[in-house]
Amino acid sequence: MAHQVSVFVENKPGRLEKVTGALGQAGINIRAMTLNSSSGGWGVLNLLVNHPAAAKDALSAAGFLTALHEIVVVEMTDQPGGLHEVVSLLARAGLNVENAYGTVLQNGRSAILVINVEKVAHAREILAAAGVRTLEDDAIYAI
Amino acid sequence: MNSYWQPDIETAAPDTLRAMQLQALRRTLAQAAQSPYYGELFRRLNFSPEQIRTRDDLRRLPFTTKDDLRGHFPYGFLAVPKAETIRLHCSSGTTGNPTVIFHNRHDLDSWANLVARSMYCAGARPDDVFQNICGYGLFTGGLGFQYGAERLGALTIPAGAGNSRRQIKLMQEFGTTVIHAIPSYLPRLREVFTELGLAPAKDTRLRVILSGAEPYTEETRRRLEAMFAPAKVFNSFGLTEMNGPGVAFECDCQNGLHVWEDAYLTEIVNPDTLEPVPDGELGELVFTSLDRQAMPILRYRTRDLTRFLTGPCPCGRTHRRLDRITGRSDDMFIIKGCNVFPMQIEQVLMRIPQAASDYLIVLETLGDNDELILQVEAHPEWFNGDFSKLEHVRQRIVREIHDEVLVTPIVQLVEPGSLPRAEGKAKRVDDRRRNGKTDF
Repeated sequence: MAHQVSVFVENKPGRLEKVTGALGQAGINIRAMTLNSSSGGWGVLNLLVNHPAAAKDALSAAGFLTALHEIVVVEMTDQPGGLHEVVSLLARAGLNVENAYGTVLQNGRSAILVINVEKVAHAREILAAAGVRTLEDDAIYAI
Repeated sequence: MNSYWQPDIETAAPDTLRAMQLQALRRTLAQAAQSPYYGELFRRLNFSPEQIRTRDDLRRLPFTTKDDLRGHFPYGFLAVPKAETIRLHCSSGTTGNPTVIFHNRHDLDSWANLVARSMYCAGARPDDVFQNICGYGLFTGGLGFQYGAERLGALTIPAGAGNSRRQIKLMQEFGTTVIHAIPSYLPRLREVFTELGLAPAKDTRLRVILSGAEPYTEETRRRLEAMFAPAKVFNSFGLTEMNGPGVAFECDCQNGLHVWEDAYLTEIVNPDTLEPVPDGELGELVFTSLDRQAMPILRYRTRDLTRFLTGPCPCGRTHRRLDRITGRSDDMFIIKGCNVFPMQIEQVLMRIPQAASDYLIVLETLGDNDELILQVEAHPEWFNGDFSKLEHVRQRIVREIHDEVLVTPIVQLVEPGSLPRAEGKAKRVDDRRRNGKTDF
């Protein structure tokens, strides 16, 4: 299973800085991140990090509302249509993708896609049946 | 040359007016005795309407409060057979019982006349074109002014609230000369004039603006008059429990609101001791309806604070003048013309488990509009990192607050523990509005 760290942040100066500061102090490495922003003056920051549980503890200690959120991580090959194939599989199964974000790996030839989807276990089965490999926590963080 | 809608009544000698009031009060008490609530109250106090010799004798009866009205919802105050009633108006609110007021044909007729008299008092005439820029429906400002303006004989445009461009188009197409709108809307309307490259002075025939349902200061009036010059702004006062608009109104002198004493017996009392205050001193307004059949209300505590202005008014009307409302004796606030109690907001939040119990109501002028901003702490136990769930919670709060108080709030979720915590009683309302502000 793979997890992202989700943090509730108010949309005001200095909040994001406080998140990155807390993680830096705890020696956490951020691989990728995305921010969902609401018109209501707040947002949820999603972080892909090397030590999710430690990151959650560090952020909670800094006073943030934090949760570990289960995700699906797919390794993408760098060829046209790769993303389309993954998204189509989930759409055909009627699974709603809430958010997705990617990062290019250090080797520069491949990328990972983080998919925030409902019914994670089900999504993983569908992808596995179609031969799409999903990554587990340690595999992702070892990248 | 002063002119009046009903000269005999409006300029009656004080003694004549008092005699009229006493007669109307006796009639009202006899009528009230027909209602379950006052019938029972009179029996318990061994009181009969014939015992009333002077207006002061009314003080032998207790006050009626909003809680009394709510507690005997819906028909406890009804003094005529239900079949005789033809309309009801009620206050906002789905939490607990709303305040509902019933009218029979006589009541609506009397109310329309009072609104016509009020409009005439502020300078409206039968040949005017009147555009009513406010919500119709349960809010009394819509139908109240509609019937009053028709009684006056003006051409009425029931424009309703909002859609400023269409409002301006209507004003231009039909040559509107008189409008009614809540004070906090007027700057927005003026802004749209500018957006369209228009100005009220050269592009409309507007000359009278009736504005009320929210307290506003004299400075705000002058600011509004500068925006809409040469039109004049007149202060309107009323409350649903006493019909709605047409309780007290400003005349051409713009110096206090004449309260129609043939229709409302007005007391001003110290909100703590509940004893009458001397004329000129600040206190809580208390009204007794004097011309209502379906639902007479005796000694109703409005919670509005004001004072009687002393001395005669140059307009020649003898009905006493009330100063602007300067505050409340409870924690109610008024925004976008709606009365809101912090408790209503709290009750909505208590129904929503994902919202923590800490909240702050911020009233703020954004651009030219006053907004109700509700800051709610997100509940730690419900946060699982899911953005859309939180967004749904926020939207649900917006929807349920709107259903409750009829104002669409701006809801901001904030981090747990981030709202200020006061010692003892938490500060729930932070009023930062530029104008229309209620001073507590």
